[in-house]
Amino acid sequence: MRALAVRRLVLLLPTMLGVVTLVFAFLHLLPGDPVEIMLGEWAAPADVAGLRRELGLDRPLAVQYVRFLAHAIRGDLGHSIAFRAPVGRVIAARYPATLELAAASLVLALIFAVPLGVLAAVRRGSAVDRAARVASLAGVCLPSFWLGPLLMLGFSIRLGWLPVSGRGGVAHLVLPAVTLALGMAGILVRLTRASLLAALGEDYVRTARAKGAPRWRAVGIHALRNALVPVVAVLGLQAGALLAGAVITETVFAWPGLGRLLVQAIQARDYPLVQGCVLAIGLSYVAVNTAADVLAGVIDPRLTEDAR
Amino acid sequence: MLVGLAGGCAEAPPPAGALVVAFDSDPQSLDPRFQTDANGARLADLLYVGLTRAGADGQRAPELARTWEMPDRRTFVFHLRSDFRFPDGTAVTATDVRATYEAVRDPALASPKRTALAVLSAVEAPDPTTVVMHLTEPFAPFLDATGLGILPADRARERGEVTTGAGPFQLIAAERGERLVLAPNPRYPDGVPKLHPLIVRIVPDEMVRVLELRRGGVHLVEDAPEPEIGTWLGTIPTLLVRRSPGTSFVYLALNLRDPRLADRRVREAITLALDREGLVRFVLGETARPATGLLAPEHWAYARLRSPRHDPGRARRLLDRAGYRAPRPGAPRFRLVYKTSSQPVRRRLAEAVQTELGAVGIAVDVRVYEWGTLYADVRSGNFELASLAWVGITDPDLYYLAFHSTMMPPAGYNRGAYVSRVTDRLTTAGRQTFAPARRRAIYARVQRRLAHDLPVVPLWWEDRVVVHTRRLHGFEPSPSGDLRGLAAAWLD
Repeated sequence: MRALAVRRLVLLLPTMLGVVTLVFAFLHLLPGDPVEIMLGEWAAPADVAGLRRELGLDRPLAVQYVRFLAHAIRGDLGHSIAFRAPVGRVIAARYPATLELAAASLVLALIFAVPLGVLAAVRRGSAVDRAARVASLAGVCLPSFWLGPLLMLGFSIRLGWLPVSGRGGVAHLVLPAVTLALGMAGILVRLTRASLLAALGEDYVRTARAKGAPRWRAVGIHALRNALVPVVAVLGLQAGALLAGAVITETVFAWPGLGRLLVQAIQARDYPLVQGCVLAIGLSYVAVNTAADVLAGVIDPRLTEDAR
Repeated sequence: MLVGLAGGCAEAPPPAGALVVAFDSDPQSLDPRFQTDANGARLADLLYVGLTRAGADGQRAPELARTWEMPDRRTFVFHLRSDFRFPDGTAVTATDVRATYEAVRDPALASPKRTALAVLSAVEAPDPTTVVMHLTEPFAPFLDATGLGILPADRARERGEVTTGAGPFQLIAAERGERLVLAPNPRYPDGVPKLHPLIVRIVPDEMVRVLELRRGGVHLVEDAPEPEIGTWLGTIPTLLVRRSPGTSFVYLALNLRDPRLADRRVREAITLALDREGLVRFVLGETARPATGLLAPEHWAYARLRSPRHDPGRARRLLDRAGYRAPRPGAPRFRLVYKTSSQPVRRRLAEAVQTELGAVGIAVDVRVYEWGTLYADVRSGNFELASLAWVGITDPDLYYLAFHSTMMPPAGYNRGAYVSRVTDRLTTAGRQTFAPARRRAIYARVQRRLAHDLPVVPLWWEDRVVVHTRRLHGFEPSPSGDLRGLAAAWLD
């Protein structure tokens, strides 16, 4: 298992380097100049040149790139052009909100998706199965820019139970977390069901039943354990995507997370902040997926053997 | 599931006496030395005092400066009030004014306000209530730059964000991207504000701002909602929708580098093809006034001009005369690319313009861009038609920046590359003339000239639409959209 984790960590470096390089290149291809956005349209050319020099934007792209990498390795992501503050501090201020929303959505999705998927598989063809499949399809299909306002209208405006938007206590977390969780749960229900159905048809489940294991044990211990491996892998990908910032949900619910910050940084052509956000997102993505791989290894030790 | 979750987590209401205002985006900076965006300016009005502030008619009104005079054409002497205090009780003095202006003039600070102070050669503080500013040349619009918020002298040169001012409110907490919490400045001399606290929430989605208003999570929104939503909000008994004439000017920018648009007959044909009354009625739900030019009728330098009429027949004849005839019946005379931002109202405008220009034989290809890309294209002259707006117009010297032939980007705002020796001469004279009556006469001639030359097609002046709770009293919305009126407001 340690070998798996080490191998993923070693792969992290070239992955991050690739991501940062691509973002750096594409960002500089975008029309728009951060200095002009900062100083205004009629800033004196001397001031524009001075600030460009101060920010290092007058140097060749390759030099800017190497400089950025050298600083990033030392943990210095530079200064945000728009916020006039260290990039690390700006991101650190927003990251807890993203973590909070991602964690709440994941927990909600898991709590509802796995039991429903198991129930649908165990009662295959029943009304419960059909209802679970329709509900999961709906969860996948409903876009968050539509679902979010719909939930607001129902639970905040009509019933008055929950706040409309913003970040505060648990109450503020419910609607954005449910909006994100529904889409994720839809995928997980279908995956759990399909994976468990496949596992239930395996010889080892039949053998367990033949040896007298009760149905709940054959399903819950033998089949489900194997069926959860692909679920954990997909969960890792989805969790990574959530940590990348659910831009639409964050915008709809005025949630001050990383996704909104990234959009704001792109609009202001705030190169250091965009690069910092992408780096943070990339690291989160790889960390979560490494954790998911390790968890899959715990569930099915054969995966760890394969990694050696 | 939601029922269960909701049962366990009741929403904490805002504190009693708190007013919650929603902004559509986070101000980029709260520091008056660096603030450039509209929401930053709104907050600066609450947190800081400047020597002067813009009045409703665009003239400078006294604020920290009680009075001012000009002993010669290159010197302004400001006499300060002595009763303004920073929240810690320290008096705002001429030393603070000098330090703030000198910090902004320092190239090392890289302040976007530095260019506006380019004509300032020295600032003196001979005594605590007198500030003397020397200019390099006579420059009538200089007073427009004296709205700069004053910081304490010992903090004016800090490179980080400084938010200590002597305005009616003080910043007590800032969770960027989420909310800003302001409390009254207990030393504010013109009456300590009664709103405590004043919370500014960042709610990017327009529909969510509206739902928050409906629910009571937000008490005031200044960004005009879509016309039909504004009508719906007016039916909610707890809310008050207030509409007043605004100063923001929306126009069609024309690129005169294009030989077709360089022909005045084509520009006039485009103007005549547009039914601006109809556009205001159907695109904006009558929340605007058809415009004759940059300055709204409330502005001190506004000149009354005849509004361009809607006359498609004459537009066709002008295009024929200019040599742009359709190659065959039903085919367009020529095509123009129209660039616009992704704002819904701007997109609707683009579709309407496309239809109306199509009716006189000009085919329009609409391209919708993210703001940064549109801005970069307009700046670099990479456009034919574009829908743009001027907000926060104060001094008519904007005519120089936007239409003088030397003010093409990157020097200024003359994005359409308009060149007129008459306009150059008049706008130069306008910035060197101090007598108000003579200045007004000069700008009247500028406005008539531009109405003839049509370097841009004036569309409308947007109304200010403010929606707030009926519990709010004593608040007078300003035509420019600033929030200073909240200093005198209270909640019942």
